[in-house]
Amino acid sequence: MKRFPFLLIDAGPIIKLFSLGIWDDFVKYCDVSISRIIADDQALYTEDGKKHIDLNPYEEKELIKIIDVKPSVVKTFYDEFDLLYQADIHDGEKETLAFLCDSSENWLVCAADKAVFKVLGLLSKAEQGISLEEVLNQIGLSRELEWPYTKKFREMYTNMGQIDSIQDKGLL
Amino acid sequence: MNIGNRLKIARNGIGYTLEKASQESGIGQSSLSEFENDKREPKFSQLSKLAEVYKKKIEFFLTDAPIINKVILWRSKPNSEEERKATEAEFSQLCEQYYNLEVLTGEVRKVRFPEPDVDKPEEFTFGQAESFARKVQNQFCLGDIPSSSIKRVLEERYYVKVFHLAFSGSAISTFSPEFGYAVLLNMDRTTKQWRRNFDLAHELFHLLTWNIFTTCRLQNTQPTEDEEKLANAFASQLLMPDDALRERIDLRKNEQGEIKLDHLDDIAREFGVSLDALVYRIANLFRIQKQDTQKYRDSAKKLAKFHKPRESENQETLPERYCDLALRALREGKLSLMQFAKYMGISYKKAQEYLMEEEDFTDEAISISVD
Repeated sequence: MKRFPFLLIDAGPIIKLFSLGIWDDFVKYCDVSISRIIADDQALYTEDGKKHIDLNPYEEKELIKIIDVKPSVVKTFYDEFDLLYQADIHDGEKETLAFLCDSSENWLVCAADKAVFKVLGLLSKAEQGISLEEVLNQIGLSRELEWPYTKKFREMYTNMGQIDSIQDKGLL
Repeated sequence: MNIGNRLKIARNGIGYTLEKASQESGIGQSSLSEFENDKREPKFSQLSKLAEVYKKKIEFFLTDAPIINKVILWRSKPNSEEERKATEAEFSQLCEQYYNLEVLTGEVRKVRFPEPDVDKPEEFTFGQAESFARKVQNQFCLGDIPSSSIKRVLEERYYVKVFHLAFSGSAISTFSPEFGYAVLLNMDRTTKQWRRNFDLAHELFHLLTWNIFTTCRLQNTQPTEDEEKLANAFASQLLMPDDALRERIDLRKNEQGEIKLDHLDDIAREFGVSLDALVYRIANLFRIQKQDTQKYRDSAKKLAKFHKPRESENQETLPERYCDLALRALREGKLSLMQFAKYMGISYKKAQEYLMEEEDFTDEAISISVD
């Protein structure tokens, strides 16, 4: 049984893990799922810009799962959330969050993005967001990480989303 | 949600055949055909890819809202219909993104443009176009050399969206109740700065008189020849104000009341217009006969061969205000990093550089009390 059986991961942490050279270890400890749009993004490179991140071999070896959702699932998500009013997120992130909202499992989203955490707070799904720092700590791969990968960052922006939710902003 | 029909509309909008759409998206032609005919539903990731290729927001395919065709006016179109449609699609996408940024940052501003004294197209004369240009000069506070400030005033005070792209035609203007007024100028290396100045002033006429000429455009989306002539008269007057131009000419004319074309070229450079445009303007200002005007224009063309081509500033595709709003939206967590990279046309890695430091950008931290 892996430590994180239901982990959705956004582009930022994928790049960070490849840049740190610990992606292969990471997928041993976590059941990683990635949005098809993010996985197919040809613009993913390591932080030094030297290595293109190709997730296909990991998918073929079933080391990661790729999620593909129907447009109607995203529409349902879109319809309950006034995206333009509160945040504009990438299609890959919409796919990830729509999948999370549609599933009955307790998925976690590992991101390094203000808007993604704000949306989770706004949707009253604060507990379903997690920072890369927290995941790495729990699987024994702790590292010194930059600000967007920290727990403090996640909490700050999730709180902002929660405040917007309390003030009735953003949801239709 | 009628995805199939919207896919077909979006593909036709950018002028792609099924074959071209297939090449660009990597999705098979038969699948595309099935999607368009509602025989099969695309996956969201395929829809996202097609939205990217067709330069549409993904929401365009997920809504039942009626599709409103935008009126886009060209000063001169590219010869290729495919290039025209592709340029229009890219321009529209940029306008929508700009508007999204305004909404996200709470910066949607209503503006009130100066209005002409006539409200019917057939009542618009050259004299009225020129008199309207004087009114605009005053209201916009454009000073002696309007070409040096007009773009900034339009963008920062009247929130006109001014983009630059490289294409083989001339300028475009459009208005949409959704995203307001917008102009596209040519950033191609062969397009000189003076040409862009004139294009912008010309397109401004269309924006300011949008409602007056709208009825004509219901039948024909392109401006008539007369409307184009009025726009040229307006632009000419706007960029070369009477008093400032007379003053420059008085300084340079000889005792016989003549001015050399070399000196006129200096004046044209100062006003940010072509020598040809200046000769035309002077002919109008001093009521020079048509045949004489043509003679002077021919001489000006010959002389131009012996002058060093004027320097043109490089133009960025995106306006400064657009970039500033994108950064603000990113900072406030209203735009995700991936979306920010897309809006700015930069790599994800480059976008990340804007988000690495811990910072305090709360309203309290970045506000100055002025009470």
